[in-house]
This record gives sequence, C-alpha cells and structure tokens, in this order.
Amino acid sequence: MTSQPVAAYPARDQYAKPLLVALLSGCGVALALGLYAKLHHPTKYALDVAGFSSPLYAKAWLTTAAVVFAIVQLITGARLTRQAAAPAWMATVHRWSGRIAILLTVPVIIHCIYALGFGTYSARVIAHSVLGCIFYGAFVTKMLCLVRRDAMPKWVLPVMGGVVFVSLVALWATSALWLFATKGVHS
Amino acid sequence: MTRLGPLITLGSVLALAVVFLLANTQAGKPGSAAASVTTAPTTTAPTTTSAPLHALYAGRSSGNQVTVAIAINGHKVAADLNAGQASEVSLQGSVNGSNFTLTSHSGPAMTGSISGQDMFGTVTGFLGQSFPFSAAQAVVEAVYTGRSSGNQVTLAVATDGDKAAAYVCNGKTIEAWLQGSVNGNQVSLTGTKGANLTGSLSGLDMFGTVTASAGLSFPFSAELSPRPAGVFQARIAVNGLATRIGWAVLPDGTQLGVAVAGTTKYPAPPLDLSNDSFTLGGASFTAAAVAGNETVVSP
Repeated sequence: MTSQPVAAYPARDQYAKPLLVALLSGCGVALALGLYAKLHHPTKYALDVAGFSSPLYAKAWLTTAAVVFAIVQLITGARLTRQAAAPAWMATVHRWSGRIAILLTVPVIIHCIYALGFGTYSARVIAHSVLGCIFYGAFVTKMLCLVRRDAMPKWVLPVMGGVVFVSLVALWATSALWLFATKGVHS
Repeated sequence: MTRLGPLITLGSVLALAVVFLLANTQAGKPGSAAASVTTAPTTTAPTTTSAPLHALYAGRSSGNQVTVAIAINGHKVAADLNAGQASEVSLQGSVNGSNFTLTSHSGPAMTGSISGQDMFGTVTGFLGQSFPFSAAQAVVEAVYTGRSSGNQVTLAVATDGDKAAAYVCNGKTIEAWLQGSVNGNQVSLTGTKGANLTGSLSGLDMFGTVTASAGLSFPFSAELSPRPAGVFQARIAVNGLATRIGWAVLPDGTQLGVAVAGTTKYPAPPLDLSNDSFTLGGASFTAAAVAGNETVVSP
C-alpha cells in the first residue's frame, strides 16, 4: 500500500521536456556527424597512434578495448538497474568504465570521419557509417538523460544504455571484427 | 535536480575530439611542427577502406616485360596487361579497402594494393610467368572511343582531369562537338542544337547515351583507347569557305569524320595518322588532336 506507481513512473509532464531535449540533441549530433563525414573531403590520412602496424589496427584495438569496457558497462548497468541496493562502488565502476570506453573511441571516430568520411561502397561500410552516427547520438542522449535522471522514468536509462551498447558492439563487428577476420589478429 | 557529471563527461569527449581534430589538421600541413613529431602522419593513404573513386594507374612490371594500365572505379577495377606482339590481356576485379584482385578468363590474375599515388602488386600466370609490378596514378588525360550500339555513330571522348571534349559523327551527315565534365564516374557533355552525351565510367569502359542532334539519340559504349585513338579537328579555309573538320579515330586507326562548311556537310578526307595531315582540294593541311580541356563548343 505504501508504494505508489507514481514513484516509479514520474508524471509525464515532469520528464517529457528533458527527455525530448535529450532525444533531439542526440538526433542532432548523429545528423551533424553524418553530414560532416559525408561533406568533408576525406583527407586519406590522419595522425597515427604509435605502436601499431597501421592506423587501421590501432583503431581496431582501440575499439576492441572500448567494447571490453562496454561489457563492464552492461554488467554493472544491469545490476544498478535491477537492484536498488547495489553497492556504491558499482556505480563508480559503471561511470568510469563508460568514460574510459567513450574516450577510447574518440581517436577512432576522428580518424573515421576526418580521414575517411561517410562510406557507401559496401553494405558493411554503409552499416558502419550509419551505426557510428547512431552511437554518438545515443551517447549524447544518454548523457543528457542522466543530467535529469531523477525526473526520468526507470526505463529510459536501460533503453538508452542498451542502444549505446548495441551500436558500439555492432560498430566493432563491422570494423575491428571484420579486420581481424580478413587480415588476421595482430597489433 | 541537475547532475553535472554527465555534462562533464560529454564536455571531455568533445574536448578530446577537438584536440584530435586540431592535431590532425596541423599534421596535414606539410612541414608543420606536428608533422615531424614521433606520431608521424601517414602521408599516403592509410591501409584503410577507401580507394580513389575514379583513377587511372599506369606502370610496368619490374622486369619491364609488360605494361600495366589499371582503372579504378568505386570498388570495381579493370586492367590491361600488354606485352606487345598481340599478347594483351584484360582483367576485371574488385577493390577491397586498399587491396585489389583481378582475374581474367584466359588465366592471368593480379593482386596488389594502392598506396596513395602508387600501387604495387603481382601478376600471376601471364605467359607462364609471375612477376611484381608497380604503377603510378596517371594524369587523368584519357581518350575513350567507341560506337553507338547500332553502329550509327562513332564517337571519341577526350578527358583531362574533370574536363571532357568529344566528337561524334557518322562520317557523312551527322556530327556534333560536345563539351563537358567528368564528375566522379559521371560524364556529361553538351553541344549545340540539343546535342549531348551522358555516360558513366566503369573500369576501362564508358557507357551512356549520345544525342547528335535533337531526335538522334543512341546508346553507346566506349573504352579507354591508346593512340592513335583520339578526337581530331582542323579549322581551315577551303575555296574561301571557313570549314571545320572533325574526326573520331579509333585505336585501330579506323576513323570517321565530317567536314562542315556553313550548312554543307561532307565526309572528311582521310587523316594520315603518322603526321596528322590530310589533303583537301589539292592542298595539304594539318589536324590537331583535341585535349579534354580544350574548347570545342563556342560558348
């Protein structure tokens, strides 16, 4: 009798506006990235990350590392969502693994859109290009949802986190996994 | 309640992205400080995904046995191997990232990779031999020649970078000069009186539709052609009449041309391809090969 559904599901007018702002911002970021990648003339080169045989492998390993952190994200995120009494360190792990994961992808995306651009020459490349835009759009949306976390319904964060996770894994599968499968696993 | 943590995360992602973008922009400038630091930029195309949309490469095998011509178009690639003495092979294949593979019906195959302006690779099974080759991106000065599908007209298209000039005729009464551009793999030219040509480049070939004059449209195919193929023209005075003559010359020396003097059209005299000369009305004249960037249609 003590628990009211209102507690779990905040009033719509309480979260509608911030949620809409978050979603539209995410869409805007995805669109802007896509347009920039498409319109910017690819330079074909970019800064190398030292220690790898080629920029491609550097990107593949950075993305792979990001996916590893993303799996940590998935595990801790699921615990945080399901259990109200999750230990405090779990939230910290979730936050920091996420920060590290997203920062690892930054050099990769800069190389992607600066040096290569929005590619359309094969199904894999189209999927990868679109997913890249979706990933950063979803990330921005999730961050903005977190800003007003208390106002959001409970489903918002798992859904947005899920989109970010799935798009990152799909990005990895259409790039790093493809590279490892076709050119071998090495540094 | 507003939380700042996520905004700080967003901000740091943005800041890192800006730093990387600026670093790349600096590295891109030759001779800049950033270009000489240890994280050297890959000045040529990285071994990454995109090959040039449309480019021609020319080169030879390391032992100089064969000449190699390779045309890249999106992720399609076509090549010609030529060892002289009629031993010429055409190959077809695809580009995957910076690597390409080509095969032919008669056996020879090629593999290689593109590195910026250069390509390196191996030819296998050509006249029983395998050998490495290298080729460099050619100035995109090229001549495509061909015929309409019903052989009504012959055409020659000269390209120079993104500019194109063409001549289409039937050797008697139909003729048109065309001027236009190459944009990626799309070729588009226009002339006077409704003449135009639209085509697309695919490997070593060009396919499209040419309209010599209003109502006279033909589908055509043309292919990248070596000398003596070309567009030739001469502007001369014959018996006091300003006359313009055009020829479309195919690689085997076959030529079709039309001379136009005012409203009169008649077959062009044969062009001596050894010195581009011809005789008309008892006098000797010289024709000139037309480059893709020349003006052939008066604006």
